[in-house]
Amino acid sequence: MTLLGEDRLLAPLRQALREVPADEADIHVHRRRAAITRYSHSSIHQNAVSDETHATVRAIVGKAVGIVTTNSLEPSELRRALADAASLARASRPDDEWPGVAEPQPIPAPSAFHEETAAATAQDQARSIGAVCVAVPKGMRAAGTSQIEVTEDAVANTRGVAAYAPATMAYLRALVLSDTYVGSGYAEDLSMRVDGLHPEAIAARAAEKCALDRDRTQLAPGDCEAVFEELAVAEVLRIMSLTGLGGQSVREDRSFMSGRIGERVTGESFTLLDDALDARTIAVPFDVEGTPTRKVTLVERGLARGPVYDRTSAKAMGTRSTGHAADPSRYAAGGYAGHLAMAGGPATREQLIGSVRRGILITRFHYTNTPDPRAATMTGTTRDGTFLIEDGKITRALANVRYTMSALDLFSGIELLGPQRLARDWWSSNGMGSILCLVPPIKVRRATITGSSPL
Amino acid sequence: MPSRDPRIAELVSVAGSRGATYADARTVEREHEAVSVKDGAVESVTRTADRGLGFRVVHRGAWGFAATDRTDDAALRGVVDEAFRRAEASASVQRRTVTLAPIEPQRGEYRTTLGRDPFAVPLAERIDHLRAVDAASLGPNIKTRRSSVAAYRTRKHLVTSEGTDVSQEIVEAGAGLSVLAVKAGRKPASRYDSRLVRQAGWEYVEHLDLVARATRYRDDAEATLDAPLAPEQPTTLVFAPEFLALLVHESCGHPTEADRLLEHEVAFAGTTFMWPEDRGKLRYGSPQVSMTADATVPGGMGTFGWDDDGVPAMRTTLVEKGIFVGYLTSRETAGALGVPVAIGSARAEGWQHFPIVRMVNVSLDPGTTLYADLLRGVDSGLLMEAPASYSLDDKRQNFHFSTQSARVIRNGQLDGYVRGVAFQSLTPDFWGRCDLVADDWELHGFLSCAKGEPLQLMRVGHGAAHARFRDVPIEVRE
Repeated sequence: MTLLGEDRLLAPLRQALREVPADEADIHVHRRRAAITRYSHSSIHQNAVSDETHATVRAIVGKAVGIVTTNSLEPSELRRALADAASLARASRPDDEWPGVAEPQPIPAPSAFHEETAAATAQDQARSIGAVCVAVPKGMRAAGTSQIEVTEDAVANTRGVAAYAPATMAYLRALVLSDTYVGSGYAEDLSMRVDGLHPEAIAARAAEKCALDRDRTQLAPGDCEAVFEELAVAEVLRIMSLTGLGGQSVREDRSFMSGRIGERVTGESFTLLDDALDARTIAVPFDVEGTPTRKVTLVERGLARGPVYDRTSAKAMGTRSTGHAADPSRYAAGGYAGHLAMAGGPATREQLIGSVRRGILITRFHYTNTPDPRAATMTGTTRDGTFLIEDGKITRALANVRYTMSALDLFSGIELLGPQRLARDWWSSNGMGSILCLVPPIKVRRATITGSSPL
Repeated sequence: MPSRDPRIAELVSVAGSRGATYADARTVEREHEAVSVKDGAVESVTRTADRGLGFRVVHRGAWGFAATDRTDDAALRGVVDEAFRRAEASASVQRRTVTLAPIEPQRGEYRTTLGRDPFAVPLAERIDHLRAVDAASLGPNIKTRRSSVAAYRTRKHLVTSEGTDVSQEIVEAGAGLSVLAVKAGRKPASRYDSRLVRQAGWEYVEHLDLVARATRYRDDAEATLDAPLAPEQPTTLVFAPEFLALLVHESCGHPTEADRLLEHEVAFAGTTFMWPEDRGKLRYGSPQVSMTADATVPGGMGTFGWDDDGVPAMRTTLVEKGIFVGYLTSRETAGALGVPVAIGSARAEGWQHFPIVRMVNVSLDPGTTLYADLLRGVDSGLLMEAPASYSLDDKRQNFHFSTQSARVIRNGQLDGYVRGVAFQSLTPDFWGRCDLVADDWELHGFLSCAKGEPLQLMRVGHGAAHARFRDVPIEVRE
């Protein structure tokens, strides 16, 4: 994808918005080049690149809203989309909650674009996969993904909003499996820069776990101490975000925060922000409505402080949008917390493990869900590195376990926190609700294990 | 039918002249219209369009794929160049070469049989319909009501270097419905359905009788609010077809996807517990349990003329009288396993996606017993009407489901509600407890089965009838 840049991307939007057959309108454009190379058995089996442009046009007549999307940035096509959206709005009914399109506000400069990453080639991706495969010890094999993504986002509207941001993302993961026994280990790097990926180190971390993951035993259900690595914590944060961190979920009594803002919801060691402006994450500094994204304190030392908002949920709740409207084709309306930052601490991995008398170490989860959304309860099975810790040391590999517990209860028992790292949960690593987390590993007093997979 | 752009055949021809051993070009145009109403007001009216070209080559024994939504000649030439570059990069880290199981070249057209084109239904009629549905959802404790109708159209044209040239136009219609009941001092109760979709016209939306359904959902949610917790003890569970459709999807459809055997999905979606040496031997469930993959079921969300490898729609058995016997395959996975193509399951969500093994319509075969007779055989048990949360392990072996609505069965009759019911099990153990399947088979459709990288949300169909499972341990949570 050739980067269009701010002027060339905003120009057709401004042109199309000059003669709008509606009371107001806005256009959000998302351009993306996604290059994904997948490998298994230390061999590339899928190698795909796509260039796509999606323009979402909203036209408002009275308070009725029509929405139309198109792949084209031609001004004539955008004008046609605006006319279609206006005709849908006319045929629709007024929405009394419509808050109007966003007003212009200063938007922070984008900071998530890296030129060298945008220029990465298929050969570059194959080389990094090759480096993983070469680094994997004999008797093991690797599978995983290299992903390079280049995006441009722009929003313009009839009130004069004009926002633009490019971004890059580089991702490499390795799942290492044993050829001779049932065991696996996993590691990954995520960065806005391709030079933030370290194939040999990823292979080494995954292979080390795989080497430990042999002669598994089963853990009986019950409560135990636990160390959650970063990916495992990110999974719990995803459940919190989807069930309870948006303004609409609070408004509809679906959130753990509903009726509890200002009250204690977890232990004091837990603080959670949404911060798209943190230089360590990968973000666009405005939302799809063109509102600058603000840093929002969600939970502060265990006290619920409030959710994120889009314009509609903010109006309904008598407040201002925090700049967290999300693409309506992918996410529920009402505010989406997609750049979480959980406060970390100084504990090393050795200290986290060393503090456990008898408990479990969890590397990551698979296919989690929430049987009780209002309590932010998560259930899911562990995978690719689940170990028994006894007297401060990893002593046995465990068969994958099913964990089921409220995030609030889990985070009430935090005893130690490690340093933050950029990570995504299992779903988000594949694009199903993209939540990026600056997240620490944690040691908790209690995790509830409700079952075990076979050996 | 999509405009048959002659340039895509030229692209395939060019790929051959550049040394590709296989190439295909696939144009896809997708349209979607949706109307949703929340608490009596129109929440959104949306029309989306997405079109482009995906181009695959096998070069030096490796896949390369590139896709674009631009239609100028330079962009199309660029897609060919890009696909070759990706294939060459693949070949540089390769231990296995791509082998495609053979098929005869295909030619023809496939089109959904429609009563009334759902795109032609006036917007005002759709809104009025939803407002009537919304009114039926009103209840003393119903805090939030949502309903929606949607229409989807996909036009595809596939040309391959082996002589296949097929066009398809698939139209789907569907609806969504949800209510949330809230009462002080009680746990909120939701009742919803997002699986009311079929390859059909507006007549399917009318067939759904959304007004009656909304009334039922309201009553279920209101009753669940005040229901007692279920007793936590093993019991007989009867599953409604809607619930079983998801159980079949998660615990049979996914583990029989052949790309899991090759570890193509191991880092994300996972593998399986159903291996080639288990075929014909592994006891998956009781003798009452047979499951079939069928891309020819009328109205199925997994029904088509040809898959995205150009394999014509077929039917195959996955589980026969409780024994695992078959897989869902693509040409590549069948080639790797050294078996003929028994069913074509290579499907891509859109033009921008590489086809991978997906379900078609994967169904639990019906039994011969009337549902009323099945129910009469239950002295004490629960009717599980619709799933809420669900979670599976990476082998599709260890699962956990909870339910939106659980009704008490006493002496063969439905008698009130309980709440808080969930269960976790291992797949063969669960299906092994099935002692009867009724004859009231019905088809359900899913819009968004998630798999692959980049993520592809696939339409799939699942048929099921009421079925009875004995002595299932359940969990009960407040």
